[in-house]
Formats: sequence, C-alpha cells, structure tokens
Amino acid sequence: MTVADTIKIPGRRSFARGIHPDDKKTLCSGSPAEILPTPQSVLIPLSQHIGAPCKAAVKPRTDVAVGDVVGDSEAFVSAPVHASVAGTTAAATVVTLPNGQHVGAIPITTAEEQPLTGRALWDDIYGGDWSIDAIDSFEPKRIAEAVRAAGLVGMGGATFPTHVKLARNPDKPIDTLLINGCECEPYLTSDHRLMLEAPKAIIAGAILAARAAGAERIIIAIEDNKPDAIEKMQSAAGGTGVDVVGVHTLYPMGGEKQLIVAVMAREVPTGGLPLDVGVVVVNVATAAAVARAVMREKPLTHRIISVTGEGIATPKNILAPVGASYADLIEFCGGLTDQASRVISGGPMMGFTLGDLETPVTKGTSGVVVLTEAQTRKADETACVRCGRCVEVCPLGLVPTRIALAARNNDWEMARRYYITACCECGCCAYVCPAEIPLVQLIRAGKAGMPRD
Amino acid sequence: MVPTIILAVCVMLALASVFAVLLGWANVRWHVDVPEKLQQLTDAMPGVNCGGCGFIGCNEYAEAVFHDGAPPDKCPVGGSAVAERIAEIMGIEHTAGAPLRPVVLCGADFDARLKRAEYRGEPTCAAAVMVAGIQGCTYGCLGLGDCVVVCKFDAIHIVNGLAVVDYEKCVGCGACVRACPRNIIQMVPFHADAMTVVACSNLDPGKVVRGVCTVGCIGCGICAKLDDIFTIADNNASIDYDRYQADTDLSAAIEKCPRKIIRVARASRP
Ligand code: SF4
Ligand code: SF4
Ligand code: SF4
Ligand code: SF4
Repeated sequence: MTVADTIKIPGRRSFARGIHPDDKKTLCSGSPAEILPTPQSVLIPLSQHIGAPCKAAVKPRTDVAVGDVVGDSEAFVSAPVHASVAGTTAAATVVTLPNGQHVGAIPITTAEEQPLTGRALWDDIYGGDWSIDAIDSFEPKRIAEAVRAAGLVGMGGATFPTHVKLARNPDKPIDTLLINGCECEPYLTSDHRLMLEAPKAIIAGAILAARAAGAERIIIAIEDNKPDAIEKMQSAAGGTGVDVVGVHTLYPMGGEKQLIVAVMAREVPTGGLPLDVGVVVVNVATAAAVARAVMREKPLTHRIISVTGEGIATPKNILAPVGASYADLIEFCGGLTDQASRVISGGPMMGFTLGDLETPVTKGTSGVVVLTEAQTRKADETACVRCGRCVEVCPLGLVPTRIALAARNNDWEMARRYYITACCECGCCAYVCPAEIPLVQLIRAGKAGMPRD
Repeated sequence: MVPTIILAVCVMLALASVFAVLLGWANVRWHVDVPEKLQQLTDAMPGVNCGGCGFIGCNEYAEAVFHDGAPPDKCPVGGSAVAERIAEIMGIEHTAGAPLRPVVLCGADFDARLKRAEYRGEPTCAAAVMVAGIQGCTYGCLGLGDCVVVCKFDAIHIVNGLAVVDYEKCVGCGACVRACPRNIIQMVPFHADAMTVVACSNLDPGKVVRGVCTVGCIGCGICAKLDDIFTIADNNASIDYDRYQADTDLSAAIEKCPRKIIRVARASRP
C-alpha cells in the first residue's frame, strides 16, 4: 500500500475491539462476474428498502419493458421499484423476504425476446465510458432526483434509500463522502469484483454523490485483504482528487461507525448518524449505481451477487436481475453439494437463514452463502461463564452479556441502562461466546419486545 | 449445674412470652380499622393474584371496587359466582355476561404448516417471530410456547406444534393473549359450551395460503354464503360474536369449509 500510505487521513485505519473471522474470500474472489441467463419469471417485491413500501403501479397482464416502474410511493423515505426483465405482469401476490418483511410483490413472466443479455447487458450496466469530464454539468438537485427515480438504496445490505442520505441538510453540512469498499463480511466478494471490473463507474458515482451531498472530500476505504482492488481503484482514481485508502481487515470495518473512526477519527455519538459528524457513507455498489442513474438515466435493476460457501458446487459472482429467485442463482452455480445445510441471504455474520429458495433476491442482496452441516452445528448453550470475551470484542464498547440476559428476563430497565438500542447487531459477541449464548438474537428480540416510551 | 438443653428451652420460652406480650400490645396500639365491606370483598376474592382483572392483585381489585366503584365482574377466575358475591356486598346490580375465553386463531399443527426450516435459535416465540425462515406462514402459531410460560393455570399447551387451550382449566385471565407475539389468541365471549371459530389468521390471498399451509383459510366465502354471521375481510373469514347465541348452529359451514378450518372450541363453564 505504497500510495495509500502517502495520503493523509486522520484515522488510524482501525477501530477498537472487533474480531478476525476466517474470511474465506478466496472461494470466489478470483471468479469474474458472470451474467445470469434471464430467468423464466421474476418476482419484484414492492418494498426492498427501509421506509414506506411502494404501491403497485402496474395492472396485472400488462407488458413491461426493462426499467419500467412497477411500484412507487409518495413518501420521502422510500424508493420506487422497477421491472428487471421485459415481460408480462401477473396479479400481485405477497412474499416473505429473508429479513422477515412480509410484503406485496409483482410477478413478471419473462418475454422470449430480451433487449440485452449476456455481455451486452454487462456493458450496458457497468461497461462503456465513465468519463468524468462533463461531471460539473450535473446540478446537485438533479442528481438527488435521478437517484430517487432510479430507486437506489444502500446495496451493502442496509437498504436505506440513497436520495435521503444525499439530501442536503443546512443544519448539518457534510464535508466528507466515504465510499465503503470494505466488504468485511466473510465469504462475500461482490463488491471486490465490482471494484476490479468497474472501477471507473464507482469513481464517477462517488463524485456525483459528493456533489449532491455537498461533500468536498471523497475517500474510498477498502480492507487491506484486497490489495488488487486497492491498486485498481487507485489507478482509476488518479487525477480525480478521490483518495483511496486501505484499512485494516477487522470485522465489522464496514459498519458506518467503525469506518468513520478508522478513516476520519470521528466518533458518531450514540443514537446519532454519520451526518452528525459531517460524513456520509455510501457503499461501492451504490456509488456505481448512482453513476448509472445520473449519467445513463437507468434505474437499479441488476446487481452483482456472490453465491458462495462450502455448500455450493461452483461458487460464482453473478450479475442477476432483481427478483430472480435464490434457486435460480444456486442452479446457475451447479446446485448445492451433499453437505449443504443452511442457505444464508447475506454474509454469515449478519445474514438471514432462508426458509424458501423461491424467495426473490432484492437490491440489498449482496450474497448467498451456503454452509455445511459441520459449520452450522446446533449449539449447546450453557450458563454465562463470565469470561468477558463478548465485552472484549464489542466494537461499540457495550456489555453484551448484561444486555442479552436482561432482555431474556424482560428486565427492560437494566437493558436500557446498558444501552440495548446502541447495539448494531454485528454479531461479534455471539461469534466469540464460549457458552454459545445467542447474544445477538436475544438483543434483537429485546429491542423489538421492549415497551416503547 | 443445669443441663444446657433445659437452659436453652427456658431461654426460648422466656423470649417467646416477651415477644407475645409485645406483639399483642402492638396489635392493639396500632390497630387499623378495615371497613367491614372491604374485608368481606377481600375474603370474596379467589386470592390467586393472577392479574386478570387488570389490577396488581386480588387485594388491589377489592380496594378498587370499594373505593373507586370498579365493576364487579372483572375477576375471570371467580367468574359469575364472585361477581355476584361482590355485587351483593356492594349492594349493586350485576347481570351475568358470557365468560371470555381465549381461542387460538391458527389451526395448523407442525404437519399442516409448510415450508418449515429447522430453527436453532432462542426457543421463544418472541425471538422466533423475527426469523423469516422458520415457516412459510407469517401469521400462524410458532409453537414455542410463550403463552404456555405465562399461563398460571396450566391451561394452554403446545400439542404437535400448535397452542391448544384446555378449557377445563382456563379461567380466562388473558395472559396468553398478551404474551403471543403473533397476536393470534383472541378473547371470545363463550355464549355456549361449544363455540365455533375460524382458526386461521392468514390475510394473504388464497393461492399464497395454499403454498404455506394445508388447512389455512383461503377466503373462498363458502361459509359466508351459508350464514351471514361469517364475514370475509382481507381473504380471511371471521365470526361476529356479538350475534352468536347459545343455540347458534354453524355445522353446515363446518362441514362445507373446503379447508376444514372452521373448528369447535369446547369449553366447560364455571
Ligand atoms: S462471551 Fe458469553 S460466556 Fe463470556 S461473558 Fe460474554 S456471554 Fe458470558
Ligand atoms: S394459514 Fe392459518 S391455519 Fe395455517 S399456519 Fe397460517 S394462521 Fe395457521
Ligand atoms: S389459557 Fe390464557 S386465559 Fe386461560 S388461564 Fe391460561 S393464560 Fe389465562
Ligand atoms: S399461540 Fe402465540 S405465544 Fe402461543 S405458541 Fe403460538 S405463537 Fe407462541
């Protein structure tokens, strides 16, 4: 990291505590993204984001083209959804997404003729020219509008509508835009591949997003277990004023609060947002989608998804349309192996176990990890042995054992006193707990069950 | 020298008489007059402190009746017998209504619920309700028994993955209703010993329901055509219990329901 080290960044490139799980990235970090053959049908969920769900904008039995709006909402914190294939809609139905959201969905039966397939589809989305020469001609307001129209949400998994993040707030000016290329979850390599294969799109998107948010400085942060991505991004960023820095490989580096400490040496207050310290954090895939939304006026209809893990025959990175099913992706990778036991949407640390492979992938699906029986053995829980390991690893400096056990016993006063709501559910504590206490699940259930005041 | 044992007995006896005198004096000195009616009310309560009345315990309810004129029919444990006794003590009118009892609005046991994945997390409904993969139906019973834990009367149990009320023991305190994170337990006035219920809470279109459950209500409307006590809203049938009479007979609907999800809850009345 010769160049990275010459750049002056205030942070120490690391944060306190955290864990070092085996990253298993080599399973598919070397596989260039492949393009999923258009599935027979897709199912477009009407809510793929945090915020108000969309209302269906198309009638059943209507022909739709790629990029047509199929659902939209009046609410500010929301994002429209678009058809990802050309085809014919069917009657609206409902679907349960892996995160438990039970939402309406529009099925689309794919037409014989698709405008773009294979390499041409890739070129349309990420290929071609991403020259930034005329970038000053895009007005901040227009950028935010184009981002909203394209239905952009945080593609790292948080799925918060991007236009809300980029909207300027006169009371809380932004000085720095952090582009998050950490991909700290084990196994996942979709952002890694994107940085290798479409670095220019990320740079263009970052500059546009910074214009919209009013940030003067742009820093792209990448974990140092991806030296090739750091190098690639640095050469793409040459002469643009965008800084690329390597940060330590430490989970959860990709968490907004941790990344801001590591790069900017600023502490987001408990209960606060990055906005409060003048920073906006945007994922690399979202940045590339911003470039596409603004410069090519195309909505978010496809994304790269890593399908990996020891339970997958041939792990791959796949460019897939939103609404394709997990089964479609797994089949494209040669199916599950005999040892496959659990299919996880997202990474193994914060992802969700899937119950139904027919569930559609969404804008926020960064990966599918299939683990084997040996890796997912059922834990035999014992009483807390007071080893303090959970406290040693909690990146937020909480006392997970206290919070979790208070939540289990409905002791809300204690849970609050130990800041249950500050927990970011990264899973470090549950990962290290020798007593196999499901600490994060207890805390999550506690947050949901706690009486509101 | 007196043997130690005798000495000990004497000391204990002496202490006992001193304290007896002290306590007796304190009893007279700090005597509080409990109004006779309040004492009677307290005595009339079952004394199980279940909280079903909405007060912290039996004594608090008695005081609420005495001081604030709380209605006499709040105690689910005592039922109409206690309500009548309270009304008599307070000298007020009491007309007995039908007792409220919980019904579980899900009729699918493990085998009837489809798309189930083995769940290895915290074994409570409150935790499992946040996990999408546990079963296809996002409305139905999770079968982990949060309701069982809170029932002080051992009156609700998980039978093959489904919560089932034992009406012989249930007193209608409503604790299970509050505990269920799926909100599928409903208090229903038992106008008859055998109450008909549509045991399903799924509000999705019929086609989706068929995909996740072999018995769930598909909102086909056959029951509503047979008897207008049924209404279909959001793809789900429900019964208007205000119009339910002791002699209401819904056996035709029970028979014709293609999903056999109209069930009978048989209660024993106190
Ligand atoms: S890591 Fe587990 S056993 Fe150790 S203190 Fe935390 S909860 Fe207790
Ligand atoms: S469909 Fe109805 S009966 Fe079946 S599991 Fe769901 S709520 Fe229960
Ligand atoms: S079954 Fe429910 S209502 Fe009946 S006694 Fe138990 S907790 Fe109370
Ligand atoms: S009725 Fe509710 S609380 Fe009882 S087992 Fe079923 S889901 Fe859990």
